[in-house]
Amino acid sequence: MITRLWRYRELVLSLIRRQYQLRYRQSLVGFAWAILPPLASLFVATVVFHGVIGVQSGKPGVPYTLFALSALVPWTFFSQSLTAGVPSVVGAIAMVTRLPFPRAAIPFSMIGTSMIDLGVSLLGFILFAVITGAGLPITALWLPLLLLIELVLVVGVVLLGSAANVFARDIRLAIPLVTQLWLFLTPVMYPLENVDGALRVLYLLNPMTGIVEMFRQILAYGEAPSMDLMLLAVVGALVTLVIGIWYFAATEERFADVI
Amino acid sequence: MSSETNAFQLEGLTKTYRIGVGQARVREALPPPVDRLVARTFPNWWTRDTFDALHDVTFSAPPGSSVAIVGHNGAGKTTMLKLIARVTAPTRGSVQVTGRIAALIDVLVGFHPDLTGRENVYLLGAIQGYSRKEMRSRVARIMDFAEIEELADTPLKRFSAGMVTRIAFATIAALDVDVLLVDEVLAVGDAAFQRKCVRWLEEYRAGGGTLVFVSHNLGLVRSMTKEAIWLDHGRVVATGPTPEILAGYGTAMERRDEDAQTPAKGSVRSVLAARGMQRWGSGGARLIGVQVGEPSTNGAGVELHVTFEAEDLEEGVICVGFLDETGYEVAAVQSPALRFARGPGSVTCRVAPLPLRPGLYFPTVGILSHDGIVRDRWQLDRPMSILGGPSLASDFGVVSLSSDWTEASFDGNTS
Repeated sequence: MITRLWRYRELVLSLIRRQYQLRYRQSLVGFAWAILPPLASLFVATVVFHGVIGVQSGKPGVPYTLFALSALVPWTFFSQSLTAGVPSVVGAIAMVTRLPFPRAAIPFSMIGTSMIDLGVSLLGFILFAVITGAGLPITALWLPLLLLIELVLVVGVVLLGSAANVFARDIRLAIPLVTQLWLFLTPVMYPLENVDGALRVLYLLNPMTGIVEMFRQILAYGEAPSMDLMLLAVVGALVTLVIGIWYFAATEERFADVI
Repeated sequence: MSSETNAFQLEGLTKTYRIGVGQARVREALPPPVDRLVARTFPNWWTRDTFDALHDVTFSAPPGSSVAIVGHNGAGKTTMLKLIARVTAPTRGSVQVTGRIAALIDVLVGFHPDLTGRENVYLLGAIQGYSRKEMRSRVARIMDFAEIEELADTPLKRFSAGMVTRIAFATIAALDVDVLLVDEVLAVGDAAFQRKCVRWLEEYRAGGGTLVFVSHNLGLVRSMTKEAIWLDHGRVVATGPTPEILAGYGTAMERRDEDAQTPAKGSVRSVLAARGMQRWGSGGARLIGVQVGEPSTNGAGVELHVTFEAEDLEEGVICVGFLDETGYEVAAVQSPALRFARGPGSVTCRVAPLPLRPGLYFPTVGILSHDGIVRDRWQLDRPMSILGGPSLASDFGVVSLSSDWTEASFDGNTS
């Protein structure tokens, strides 16, 4: 599957280009839609979690907005990739049933489109950090590694989800619910320190926990990522990737028959 | 013949589908090897609601061949194309294709209405596995072939269906294809573009390219292919030279239509019961029945017995025409003016031997008032085949003419 997909890398690029060419046609604010979702979440987090519930930043001296935004950026990439990627193979039903091409090109193009949005929102984060005077710590150099780990996880989840959705549309219907619950069960709007005991063990089984915490450490706290979180995230992401690739590759030749 | 020398080779090809509309597909969702385990444990549940869309098909085509797949709806034609194109995988058996393959199964697929003609060409190229760089050198040629240079940067949604077909075909024509699969798409283009495509396909075949063509337009099938596979309910009925296969297929189609009718073959009632007969007219007089004589062979002519009844029409004519497979009326004859009396009447029309190319023709009968208004017209779905003797020229043209030829003479001949 991977070698065939590499031969068709131009198709993935073309599909990403098509997404982008189409996405902002006949829209008012256009490109701003790439940065609006994390900003809107930040607004809600600041007003509700910080203002109403009184959740504090995980580290003294780091403002809550910076604390929340540094985790919302990777979270938005994750949830957008799922929302667009999981229904994508079924959405391309006409192409899948009539044209021979590696099916993985479709979910990959969705992830690619989300990656462009991620790039824009990362620039937005840097701008935010500079304007608020916090600046960007040198530990931000860990960013490429963390992005890679998150990408591995996203590819795994989206491949698994988009293949399973071909057989049972329940998957797509469950996505809004799953991403919402997953957001609340991931320390995005509150610090991991607030989670204690048995619940904390459960949290650490969630690969997104380590990923958002590490993003926060390198972007907001100015710390190197903790190695125990790194280990959990890498193992979680790789296991998900292997399962995702295996399931997609094992079932993709049936897509055209049952879709 | 080894698989190396064949453009494509199908061996024992079987495709089994499960019927399961609107349900979650639990059995398909099981990845190997779990599915094999479940199939062995619950064999009854596993094989429930299945049917073979294609059953044990073996066929091979050398490079440069042109193969038609003919058969009724649901015979397995598109399934076969999809298996050769590897859109779907066979349940049993194997497909081997030598060289690059391109499928033109549905022109609108892969195109996006909001993208321009040029952007769509790049996208279609990418779907077929061609890079932007490879496509760049071809775009001018594609626009030229499709004759839409001035519209290259217009969104596709402003194009007519014919223009979209032209772009799709032109794009495929610009690729380096060894095996080309075409399904029903050429029917959309206008006649001039169709001729251009047929010409291109001839050059393509002369260059060693292989064509697989699926169409209900038997006229196009005849002009585009040399060989044919006749499928029925997923099984191969016959394979062989296109004219022979079409003759057999045509006769079977007639017989099938007769089987679908009431037992009294050829009677008034039986024609009325013919499936899908089209009928229209402004009324005032109506046709009651049409009997078409025995399927005529070239040189025997055909007899049609028409019964009718006039209501308030006093004078009119009966028209008889013949449509070819494309729906084009190739010939029509007209009775002398008739004065209608009360009650049902009948008239018999003997049409002289029809000098038509061998093929399937559909009779049409009408009552017209003297000012040319159609009062009642039937277009019969039951074909009438005209089978000529085998001749190379019978593949071409609309009418077959008799001709006399002198002895060939040569300038250098001294005797």
